[in-house]
Amino acid sequence: MSEKSAKFKNYSLVLLITGVMILVGQWIGYDKAIIPSIPGMILVLLIAFIALVIKEYVPAIKFPAFAWASLIAFILSMPFMPTAAPFLKYTNEVVFLGTTTPILAFAGISVGNKLGEFKTLGWKVFIVAIFVFSGTFFGSAIVSHIILSATGII
Amino acid sequence: MKKSSVVSLVVAAFIITIIAELIGTQRINVGIGTIVLLPMLFAVVMGILITPGVLGKRIAALGKAIGTEEVDLAGTFVMVALLPLGVKYGTLVGPNIVKVIEAGPALLLQELGNLGTILLALPVALLLGLKREAVGATFSICRESALGIIGEKYGISSPEGTGVLGTYLIGTLFGTIFFSILGSLSLSTGLHPYALAMATGMGSGSMMAAASGALSEAVDPAMKETVLAYAATSNMLTGVTGLYAEYFLGLPITNFLYKKLEPVLGRRK
Repeated sequence: MSEKSAKFKNYSLVLLITGVMILVGQWIGYDKAIIPSIPGMILVLLIAFIALVIKEYVPAIKFPAFAWASLIAFILSMPFMPTAAPFLKYTNEVVFLGTTTPILAFAGISVGNKLGEFKTLGWKVFIVAIFVFSGTFFGSAIVSHIILSATGII
Repeated sequence: MKKSSVVSLVVAAFIITIIAELIGTQRINVGIGTIVLLPMLFAVVMGILITPGVLGKRIAALGKAIGTEEVDLAGTFVMVALLPLGVKYGTLVGPNIVKVIEAGPALLLQELGNLGTILLALPVALLLGLKREAVGATFSICRESALGIIGEKYGISSPEGTGVLGTYLIGTLFGTIFFSILGSLSLSTGLHPYALAMATGMGSGSMMAAASGALSEAVDPAMKETVLAYAATSNMLTGVTGLYAEYFLGLPITNFLYKKLEPVLGRRK
């Protein structure tokens, strides 16, 4: 088996696993029955897979697969697109917050081997980082608030 | 991918997901506002807890099931598991495209607001005694693009490189936890939910999800969809403009302010 087909086989496997985790998670957390949500989940996973294929075969455009996935779904769901109504009908069965839980479960585990490095950084770096996060966030929020008021949206 | 590693990683993450969803969304009133704790927050905390460095070294069976190999594998899983969320964000922006275009000027200009980190964090870093490390640590929110810029300009083993890696690492470890709390709590500042929504797009998919998810659960339900649409659009814009803003604005401004502020705020040896 070539390296690329092995890679895509792994991607498909991880996508399927994630899909099952989301379906079970949103059944527990958001009362979404599993069977009626399957068609929507298949659509979501299909787009995710296409995003991975585009990223692999169009490396000239430096766009992460996450952005490709958003872009495809965005185009399919614009109001004047004939695909919008059926596409949204099915994908609405996949709960937004439900898709976040498995990601963060994996993300939590994945930072495990970096905790040692954190201990060597010390508390100063931690404090600075908190101010970096807050400054970035509130800097944007203040600019947005001013422009949104000025343009009459809020 | 080794089969046994995949199985133990997936079983662990699946159990974490189920427990996190069973706990469900919790709302805590803290006087100045409400903190919304989403299942994803419980998931990331449980994920960190079961790793070899924390509980794995105390509980032998756990350390055996989730070892270094599984931790490395989890990184690959995150990249792929993010994609369904990416699709969902697309479906939130598409139907709201008119609203997003109307908010275009705010969405574009707020990208400049990301430079707020320099004004707030650089003085703090200097007061704490950091030198050139402060430039790398505070010129941006220090995601992958920032690592690239500093790595190329100063080298990653330079003082600037140490700084950027520090903030990067703290962001990776605690970014989602921090922003999932700030997301809902920030409403008490009086800034409009739509403005806060745009601010959550900082160029990191998981931090944006944590902040905007918590924010969307804390606002008036009628605003929920617009909040998520603005957040996703803002994050996409940062993905496109972030690198250039960091390179042509963030880094020069930080260097300029460093020269002015360091003699005043920096600690003398």
